[in-house]
Amino acid sequence: MKRILIVDDASFMRLAINEALTNNGFEVVGEAEDGKEAIEQYKLLKPDAVTMDITMPVMSGLEALKEIMKLDPNAKIIMISALGQDTQVKEAILNGAKSFIVKPFQDEKVIQVLNKILEN
Amino acid sequence: MSERYSNEALLESFIYETTQLAEQLEQMVIAGESKGGFLPEEINEIFRIMHTIKGSAAMMRFQNISTLAHTIEDIFFVLRESSSVEAGDSLLSDLLLESVDYIKAELEKIVNYLKADGSASKIISALKNYLTALKKNQKAFTTNKDTANTETNKFKSINSNTERFLSQEVEGHKDCNRFEAVIYFEEDCGMEHIRAYGIIHELKDMVNSITYLPENIDTEESIEAIQTNGFRLYITSNLGFDALQQLLMNTVFLKALKLRQLNKSSNECAGSHINDLPEETELTELKFNKTKFSKTMFNETEIKAKNKERTAYHSMISVSVEKLDRLMDVMGELVITEAMMLKNSDLEGMVLDNFHKSARQLNKITSELQDIVMAIRMLPLSATFHKMNRIVRDMSKKLEKEVNLTLVGEDTEVDKNIIEHISDPLMHLVRNALDHGIENPEERLRLGKTAYGTITLKAENLDSDVLITVKDDGKGLDKDKILTKAKKSGLLNKNESELTDREIYNLILLPGFSTKEKVTEFSGRGVGLDVVMKNIESVGGSLTVESQAGEGTTITLKIPLTLAIIDGMNISVGESNYTIPIAAIKESFHPKDEDIIIDPEGNEMIMIREKLYPILSLYKIFNVRADALKYSEGILIMVSQDEKVFCLFADRLIGQQQVVVKALPEYIREASDQKGLGGCTLLSDGTISLILDIGDLIC
Repeated sequence: MKRILIVDDASFMRLAINEALTNNGFEVVGEAEDGKEAIEQYKLLKPDAVTMDITMPVMSGLEALKEIMKLDPNAKIIMISALGQDTQVKEAILNGAKSFIVKPFQDEKVIQVLNKILEN
Repeated sequence: MSERYSNEALLESFIYETTQLAEQLEQMVIAGESKGGFLPEEINEIFRIMHTIKGSAAMMRFQNISTLAHTIEDIFFVLRESSSVEAGDSLLSDLLLESVDYIKAELEKIVNYLKADGSASKIISALKNYLTALKKNQKAFTTNKDTANTETNKFKSINSNTERFLSQEVEGHKDCNRFEAVIYFEEDCGMEHIRAYGIIHELKDMVNSITYLPENIDTEESIEAIQTNGFRLYITSNLGFDALQQLLMNTVFLKALKLRQLNKSSNECAGSHINDLPEETELTELKFNKTKFSKTMFNETEIKAKNKERTAYHSMISVSVEKLDRLMDVMGELVITEAMMLKNSDLEGMVLDNFHKSARQLNKITSELQDIVMAIRMLPLSATFHKMNRIVRDMSKKLEKEVNLTLVGEDTEVDKNIIEHISDPLMHLVRNALDHGIENPEERLRLGKTAYGTITLKAENLDSDVLITVKDDGKGLDKDKILTKAKKSGLLNKNESELTDREIYNLILLPGFSTKEKVTEFSGRGVGLDVVMKNIESVGGSLTVESQAGEGTTITLKIPLTLAIIDGMNISVGESNYTIPIAAIKESFHPKDEDIIIDPEGNEMIMIREKLYPILSLYKIFNVRADALKYSEGILIMVSQDEKVFCLFADRLIGQQQVVVKALPEYIREASDQKGLGGCTLLSDGTISLILDIGDLIC
C-alpha cells in the first residue's frame, strides 16, 4: 500500500482526505498542520506522496514544498488549492509539485491524481 | 464524498471545527474593535479562518456558508495586501458579527438535522458593497511598487526562461520531429489553464520548442476555450512519437489525447518558420497578478504565543461526551463495588493483614482513578466567560452605555455538565447588570464615577465548590423600591422591619418580581431571576445577592464542582437508609427530651446555645417505621442550606461514605411528589439509600 502524508491546517480537511485515501487502498502514515510540521513529518516518515494544502499558518505549503524538494528531489507532492490561487499553484509547479487538485473536490479526484503520480 | 449526510464523523468534524473557528472570529472581532483595528497577524488569521470555512463548507455542500466565507475572505485578502488602508472599522465589525451569527445559526440547524437553508444574501451583498468601497479606497493609494517588483521580477525571470525557450528558434537540429497534440482534461478537474501551464513546464526541458493555443493560459479566461476545444500544442522535438505520447499520457486528469506527427523537414528544423500553423502567434509575456503574496510582519511575542497555543493544541484530543458519561458511570460502579467488597460482612472478624494491605492499595488506585475521571470532565469557564463579551458589546451599544467587562479566574474548571447550566444564568445576570445596574455615561459623570462602568466576572475555587461572582459598579439595589414592590405583590411573609438587608435583596429572586417600570427588550418581564435560581439549584448550587446603594451590586453563585460523587453521612430510620451530604451537616448530637420545645403551632424545636432550631423527624416526613420515637433514643443532626438551619431526627448514624449519586428513577418521580429526595445510591452492603435534598426538606 502506498504511504501518504496529509498536510492541511483544517482538521476537517485532514479527516476528509484521510477517509478518501483509507477507503481507496492508501495508507495514511501521518498528518501535519502546517508547513514546518510537514517537513519534519516528511523526514521522519518518508512517505510515497504528500497532499499539501497551500494556505497554512507558521509556514505555507509553498515554502514547505520548496524545502522538501531540496531534501528529496524525488518527492511526490500534490498541492491542494482553492480557486483563485493561480499564482501559488504555478509557483508550486515551478518548484516541483507533481500536480494539484482544486477544492471542493470529490474523493475520486485525489485518488486519481495520487495513482497517476505514483505509477511512474 | 457524495453521501455527505450519511458520513456522521465527517459532519461532526465539520460542525466542531467550524464552530470553533466562528467563535474564534467573534472574539477577534470584539477584541479588535476595542483596540481600534486589526493587526496584520490578525488579518492573516481571519483570512485563513474564512478560507478554511469556505473550503470545508463547500466540501459538505453548504453553499450559503461557503459563499459568505468566500466574500469575507476576499475582503481580508484586500486588507492583507494593502498596508495603507485602515485595517477594519466598526461597519466591518458589525458585518463580521452578523456573519458569525448566521454561521452559528446554520450550524445549529445542521446539528439538529434540519436543512441549512437560511439566506445569507443580505449579508453577502452588504459585504460585497464593503469590498467595492474598500477596493476604491485602495486604488487611491499606490501599492508598494518595490516589493511587488522584486516578487514579480523573480517570477519574470523564471518565466522568461520558459518564454525565451518557447519562442526561440531552433538551430541545427537536423532530424527533429514535429507534432500536433490536443489535450482534453477531465470535467471538473479545476484550473485547466494552470494544468496547461504545468504541461508546458514538464515538456520544456525535453523538447525543442512549443507553441500553444489558447495562448492566454495565464488568465482564467482561457479555461472555457481549453474545456471546449482542448489544449492544443505544436511541438518540435528529437523525441519519437511513442516517447512523446508517453510523456503526454502522464498528464493528470487527462480525458483524451490526440497526437499526430506532422511532416518532418530538415528545412524547418533549421530555424525557419513553421508555415502550416494556422497562425504564428507571438508568445505573449505571461502576465501575473499585481497582488503579491505578501509576507506579513509578525510581532515576535505574538508568534511565540501562537506557537505555544499550537503545541498545546497538538496534545489535545476531542472525545465524545457520551463516552465520558459512560466512563463516569462505570467509575461510579467501581466505587460502589469496591466498597461492597471491602466492607463485606463475610470479612467481619477475620484477620486478614495481607488482604487489607492489598485493599488499601486498591483503594488508593481507585481514588486516583476517580480524581482523574473527574478531571477529564472538567472544562475551564473561559469559553462561557468569553461568550459574555459579545453580550456586553451588543448591549452597551444598544443602550448607549459604556461598559468594560473584566474576567478573573476564567481558567477555573467545572464539570462539563454543570457548565451547560451556568451559561444562561450568567448571561441573564450580566444583562441585568448592564440594564439595571450600570448608569449611562452622563449620569455616572454627574455622580463622580468614571464614564464607563465595569462589570467583573470572577470565578474561584472554594473547597468543593466554585464561586462565580457578577459584580457591577452601578447604582445598586434600591431597598425601598424592592420592599414596596414586594408588599404590593404580597410577597412579604415577615414584618418588613425584621428583614435583614440580605433578605430584602433576596426578595428579587422570587417569581414575578421586577421593579422595572417598563418591559424592555432585555429585561423587565419578571421571569428572569427566579429562572436563574432554578437553573442554579438544579445543579445543586445557590445564589446570593449583595448590594450597596450607589456603588453597585454583587451576585454570587456557589456551584458544586461535580454532581456525581459526594461525601455523605449514612443514617438509618428503622429499616430505611438515608444519606445526608456532609457539606450540609453542621453537627450531630444526642438530645435530651427536656431540651425539646413545642411552639404554639405544635412544631417541635430545640434550643442550642440560645438559638432555636426547628426539628424535622425523618420518620414523620417519609412515613416510615422508626426504632427511636423518643428524642433521647435517637440522634439529631443539624443541617443547613442557604442560611436555613434545622435539625433532622433519625435513629442513628451509620457512617461516612463517599457515595455515587444516582438520579431517582423516572417512575418514582412521577408516582410520588415526595419532597426532600435528591437521588439515591447503593451502600457498601448493597442496600439502597435515599439521598436527602436538604434545601427541599425545609420548604
